[in-house]
Amino acid sequence: MSDVGGTPVLREPAHQVSPRAVPFWTVSALIGDALLVIGVLVACLLVPGVPGWAWLVVVLVGVLAIAHVVLMPRIRFRVHRWEVTDTAVHTREGWIGRESRIAPISRVQTVDSRQGALMRMFGLASITVTTASAAGPITVDCLDAETARQVVARLTAITAATEDDAT
Amino acid sequence: MIPSPGSPGEGWSRLSPRKLLLDPVKAVGQAVVPVVVALVGISQSDMKYWPLIFPLAVLAPLLLGALPWLTTHYRLSDTQIQVRSGVLNKTTSTAPLDRVRSVDLEASLLHRILGLQKVQVGTGVDDDRITLDALAAADAQALRTTLLRRRAAVEQPVEVADGAEPAAAPPPASPEPAPAVLARIDWSWLRFAPFSLARLVLLAGAVGLLSQVGDNLPIWNEETATSAWEWIAGFALAAVVVVLTVGGLAAWVALSVAGYVVQWWNFLLVREHGSLHLTTGLFTTRSITVEEARVRGVELTEPVLLRIVGGAELSTLATGVENGVTQVLPPCPRGVATSVGEVVLEQPEALTQDLVAHGPKARRRAWFRQLFSAVDVIVVAAAAAWWFDVSWVWVAALAVVLLVVAAAVGEASYRHLGHALAGDHLVAGRGALARIRTVLETDGIIGWVVTQSWWQRRIGLADLTATTAAGAESVLVRDVRLDVAVALADRATPGLLTDFLRSDAEPA
Repeated sequence: MSDVGGTPVLREPAHQVSPRAVPFWTVSALIGDALLVIGVLVACLLVPGVPGWAWLVVVLVGVLAIAHVVLMPRIRFRVHRWEVTDTAVHTREGWIGRESRIAPISRVQTVDSRQGALMRMFGLASITVTTASAAGPITVDCLDAETARQVVARLTAITAATEDDAT
Repeated sequence: MIPSPGSPGEGWSRLSPRKLLLDPVKAVGQAVVPVVVALVGISQSDMKYWPLIFPLAVLAPLLLGALPWLTTHYRLSDTQIQVRSGVLNKTTSTAPLDRVRSVDLEASLLHRILGLQKVQVGTGVDDDRITLDALAAADAQALRTTLLRRRAAVEQPVEVADGAEPAAAPPPASPEPAPAVLARIDWSWLRFAPFSLARLVLLAGAVGLLSQVGDNLPIWNEETATSAWEWIAGFALAAVVVVLTVGGLAAWVALSVAGYVVQWWNFLLVREHGSLHLTTGLFTTRSITVEEARVRGVELTEPVLLRIVGGAELSTLATGVENGVTQVLPPCPRGVATSVGEVVLEQPEALTQDLVAHGPKARRRAWFRQLFSAVDVIVVAAAAAWWFDVSWVWVAALAVVLLVVAAAVGEASYRHLGHALAGDHLVAGRGALARIRTVLETDGIIGWVVTQSWWQRRIGLADLTATTAAGAESVLVRDVRLDVAVALADRATPGLLTDFLRSDAEPA
């Protein structure tokens, strides 16, 4: 396939994750970053005689945190994509870097779905597909909960039909 | 005490009764250091606890040592091996015989004196191993042969699809070709022993321990140290340095050669019952068996020193073995390692062919990666120099040395980088100081990961990882052009990527 006209490019997987992922990522980033900023702030207030540049660091951390909260969820939503065909699972994720993962369904060992408390509030669920390799788990973050259920059901049906020990 | 196949009903056997000697001795041996330390500590403070502690320190290991023999039973039926153990919580491990992937025997010096062997049975996918410690040596051998043969017998009819061996010609009636010797110890290989630094780590550990103990010795106080230093300074310092260097080197050579002999005495690697079988050891004998269908690849490692003298080491990458990477050859000539590796792989040239280089951008990244870490060190050193008011000349000298070394290491790590597809094997080269070549059967690849950092995206490179259940569970092809990576993955596992490919020039 490599020598059939032009260079082969890995196309992006077909589906986007749920649009509700954006507010979910925003809120969870907000919680984490707020804790960090407050922690730094409190440290600066409590430690006696902090030098002036320490406040500069606080401001810098604050600005970075805001940028993270505002930009990260949107970029991530654009990048995160997934697709399950009859033969393979393909995902792409990341927001600064990129990571594409492909695993043949015949080698899938377990299919887990996970829903944290916060995710539940947004009606989201994540799916993790593991193979026999510790380096190979594939996670689709923040699917619509209903879609996640369907995908899990479909994957389980397909993997139950294959009879290898998947190594 | 292998129960015959005819008695599957009860048939639980105990471990060898000689274990009753083994475990307490071992327990006492393990307890001796803390006990002695404790006793020394106590004797310095107070003598009145002695009568209480001494019997406890001796009796407790004896009792604890006897428990496993009383509570451990095993049995072998037509279809499975079971081991039952535990005092309060009884656990029963059961392994179907067709899941037995490896049978390892190990005997420490103590085991050997008592004529015992420890048996470890590896089963398929999970990493849990069934351990029988210890059986009489003859029983252990018999168990090993039985397990491996039964496995072969159970698997032969099923295994046709796997195509690991063209088993069409010999029907299951004669499943036992003569064992083929792949390698045996050649004592001229001893010349590689001093160049293999793995043992240096152990030595450093021992020295560290000694220095800890040494701190408490009465001879080591400031007074003796000062007088010793004056005594030394009385001689020419240069002579002392020379003597120390020569002495250290001589000690290292002696130690490494001795270690090599102890570890690889009677080394023998054979192929039998469709398995690789390795036996070795002077005091502690090990006997490792890995099913060949489970061997998904090999790794050829040439650490920098060993490489200078033309040596190499070889490991197999297997699934269902405790840590997946089994060193199957001692440090030996590169030619031996590559030829044994290619026999194991059944893929000629996989370890000797040239790799596809990754190009000038990958070289730049290899250089930068090393230079950045050198700069980190230099910055730290400069800060320290500023703090302690050390002359800048030293920092400059350090900087020059580090940058030159970093450049050399960067260039080396680029030259080690590469990939190839040899038949149905993926070959990946990597390593900064050591040259490491990993060969993985493409059938053992169970997924792909393509990662690009922000920097890599700007220059169109990617890290391609083949995930696998064997060995370290992944094989990395670093800093390869994205389109080359995709094409390589596509060729290695035909069909898997087809649905996801687009043959055009539009950047993703």
